[in-house]
Amino acid sequence: MDSYMLSVLSNIGMISFLALSAYLLLLVGKVSFGQQAYFAISAYVSAMATTLWGCPLWLALFFGAISAGISATLVSIPTLRLKGFYFSVATLAFAEMIRLGLVIFKYQVEIDGELVGPEGSIGFRGIRYIYDHNFSSVEYLCLIYGCLLVVIGLMIFWEHSRIGSIIRMTGADELLTEMQGINVKLVKVLTAGFAGTIAGLGGGLYAHYLTYVGPEMFGAMLGVHAVSYGLIGGLGTTFGPLLGTLLDFVFLKSAVFSEYRMIIFGGIVAVLLIFKPRGLLDEALLYKIRQKLRKPSWK
Amino acid sequence: MMIFLQNCIDGFMIGGFYALFALGFTLMFGVMKWTNLAYGSCIMLGVFSGIWMHLHFQLDLFWIFFVIILITVIAGYYVERLCYRWLPKKAFMAMMVSSFAIWMQLDEIVRIYFPSRSYPFPRLMDNDLMMIGPLMFKAEGLLILVICGLLAGTIFLFLYKTRYGLAMRAVSEDPVASRYVGINMPSILLGTSIIASVIGGIAGFLMATSDAQVSTEFGLWVTYKSLIAMTLAGLGSIRGAVLGGIILGVIEANSLWYLGAEYRDLVSFMLFFIVLVILPGGLLGTAKEQKARAAVRRG
Repeated sequence: MDSYMLSVLSNIGMISFLALSAYLLLLVGKVSFGQQAYFAISAYVSAMATTLWGCPLWLALFFGAISAGISATLVSIPTLRLKGFYFSVATLAFAEMIRLGLVIFKYQVEIDGELVGPEGSIGFRGIRYIYDHNFSSVEYLCLIYGCLLVVIGLMIFWEHSRIGSIIRMTGADELLTEMQGINVKLVKVLTAGFAGTIAGLGGGLYAHYLTYVGPEMFGAMLGVHAVSYGLIGGLGTTFGPLLGTLLDFVFLKSAVFSEYRMIIFGGIVAVLLIFKPRGLLDEALLYKIRQKLRKPSWK
Repeated sequence: MMIFLQNCIDGFMIGGFYALFALGFTLMFGVMKWTNLAYGSCIMLGVFSGIWMHLHFQLDLFWIFFVIILITVIAGYYVERLCYRWLPKKAFMAMMVSSFAIWMQLDEIVRIYFPSRSYPFPRLMDNDLMMIGPLMFKAEGLLILVICGLLAGTIFLFLYKTRYGLAMRAVSEDPVASRYVGINMPSILLGTSIIASVIGGIAGFLMATSDAQVSTEFGLWVTYKSLIAMTLAGLGSIRGAVLGGIILGVIEANSLWYLGAEYRDLVSFMLFFIVLVILPGGLLGTAKEQKARAAVRRG
């Protein structure tokens, strides 16, 4: 595999975390434009953990994911009360606050005669952990997809368990769910917290992969992309957002349509949503597939 | 104190634009129940085709004005068909995401034909400064503010004094009931999006001529600011949009002066987030908003 393919694959893997995290919130019926905030928080925290505090990578990723999860939970408590559109805008506002806060955030420490740490709008440079510890890019790719597989496994396990049904039920009709004796608020807050953690895991990996992170990377575009991956790929299964991410990258990186690819891609997405408003792999299609797999064919 | 007053005046000037952009956005949100993320890009497409005509055919401002409005309306019509009309009625998420896809598409079109960061735009008139006491006014700014006020007033009169406006308010209140009383829904929905595009086109023209330049980030900027201005004071009300735009402008101008450029957006987003969390109905508050709604219903 050449290095170009490796970098594309790594990027798909890392952005998938963000898409999965937005997808979880779509399942409870909330459109969040702000998942990139947790991506950013974790990217900075985990990068600071390895460069400034000398943690090993796994601990740094853990710190990053946990801090993102905690902040997502804290933010979701006041914001999840808000109805549909207000929630989307509130998450967007929070994410922009984080981004603009990072522009101001300066915390530099001298290590080995060199200043390292976040440096305001210039960003956080010199996150050299994977070079100092001789990770090859194939190894790092394996690490990314290993983490992704764990997350996907967990989500698929949930999807087929009671928790998944509760999450989908909350998205379909909150009042009805509450009447079943389920604490809807708790379900939503926990979902948001977990979504934040997933985004955080991706953010930590992202920072160490790029060796540089800056506030301009975490603009609103990233968050809106993450939401649309879920809706393009489909809300029926965990593979939906992954499919969406894959499609976007294939289009973005393929030279077939050269400079007109975004124009064509945008058009395709819009037309697709006319016929399949809940994405390619939506619940109806999934139901049909499952029926096919289950039912023995009658002769 | 004088500085504060001066800031407020500057804020009013920029707030007038925010109010106008938010007005168009609010019409679509209120009547069509549609979050049209491509709104800013439609306006940008219009403004850039104006610039294109200016560069290639040396059109003067008067004709540019009509070109901008024409192209904005055409782009708005395209978005309305593709991202609203042809989608299933209840697919709110899909409507938002598909308008986002078209946003990407329109942005890309502009970026292909206009590769530089920003382009000059002819001025409406020379930039005279007027002093009234110790306060400074830009003559052009004042003129634009007056136009903004007139435009908002016209929309207000149109909504509250004409039959078509009454029908629009009826649709915004209850689409099903308004169909029962024989309102031609498709015509109202299309009409609303066209009116919003016209307002957007005029506002875009004024913005471009007062800045004397347009950047290719214009679309993103417009969508952002109108989203915030619309939500800040309360969703779906014309008064709210105007008030929200002006509040946003004044806050930005003051935080720019007292805290510096990095803090300008941070402060406005922070305030926005806090307002959303504390008063989920926007600044006009739930009780007052209810009253305004009732007034809309009867007026």
